[in-house]
Amino acid sequence: MRNSSEIIARMTGLLFPFIIMFGFYIILNGHITPGGGFQGGAVLASVFISRYLVYPDEGIRIKSLQSAEKALFFCIVVIPVLFLFANNYKSNELWNQIYLISMNMLIGLKVCSGLTIIFFRFVFYEGGK
Amino acid sequence: MIEKIFLILMVVLALITLNTVKLRRAVIYLGIFSLVSSFVYLLYGAPDVAIAEAVIGSALSTVLYLVALKKYQVFTIYYTNANYNEIHDGYIIKGRAQILRDVERFFLKREMEPQIIYTTDDCDYVLSAKNFDLLIHQDYDKVKMYGCIEDYHVDAMQDYVAKNPYENLTVEFVRYEAGDQIDA
Repeated sequence: MRNSSEIIARMTGLLFPFIIMFGFYIILNGHITPGGGFQGGAVLASVFISRYLVYPDEGIRIKSLQSAEKALFFCIVVIPVLFLFANNYKSNELWNQIYLISMNMLIGLKVCSGLTIIFFRFVFYEGGK
Repeated sequence: MIEKIFLILMVVLALITLNTVKLRRAVIYLGIFSLVSSFVYLLYGAPDVAIAEAVIGSALSTVLYLVALKKYQVFTIYYTNANYNEIHDGYIIKGRAQILRDVERFFLKREMEPQIIYTTDDCDYVLSAKNFDLLIHQDYDKVKMYGCIEDYHVDAMQDYVAKNPYENLTVEFVRYEAGDQIDA
């Protein structure tokens, strides 16, 4: 896998935008159709993992992904609390939808960065070679 | 009806996965198994679980298993032949050189994952430029095997060949010091 094959490289490059689009579709429609934050995040993480198949030697900046994940986790804790204290969720339908979509989005991005960190740590830091 | 077909297919794939000799093939069968099982989830009316199973089961975990196999157990064997012009592809694909079949069986018995690369490159070139665990160079009935001196698998291989000598092949082992070869 040192020199990745050209077929895989081209096909992955062709499929990249569709995978990203599908991931965001699953996340954004999570509250009305099947899917949601976790599934969409896993689809988005598979983008980074297929990138590893194309360029096995290049790493990614794990440090920045880690800080992004921490910030997202902070948002995931804070936003529901604020929403609860705002206390208008019983009446307003629009606010509920905005809340659901934003939470799905945050969870999706957090799952994506978490799975990517796990994968790249495993690939580059664990074990002998 | 279609449910039953896919349920039976799941059982069959699971059995194949368990009975495959090569670990890498077993990982691929496991990926197909989880793809089929995600379809069965869809048939039973759980699209949520089906998406998660399809992504995690057949994409992420398959790639993770493959990377893990690559890290720990894959034993790379290069096979060069001095008279490669006289060999046609059928000889390599179907017939397999006798020595290669034995080497592969030997490493499978030790639960390793032999990965054999046939190359038309020159023996010396492979020796200096490629990253390998064992290099087999065949010149009609003379076989030379190059292995690192600290590799205990090659030690075992040497013992094995010494115990079961071939009638028509002369096998010679060449051991180099660790670090001689350039890591590609």
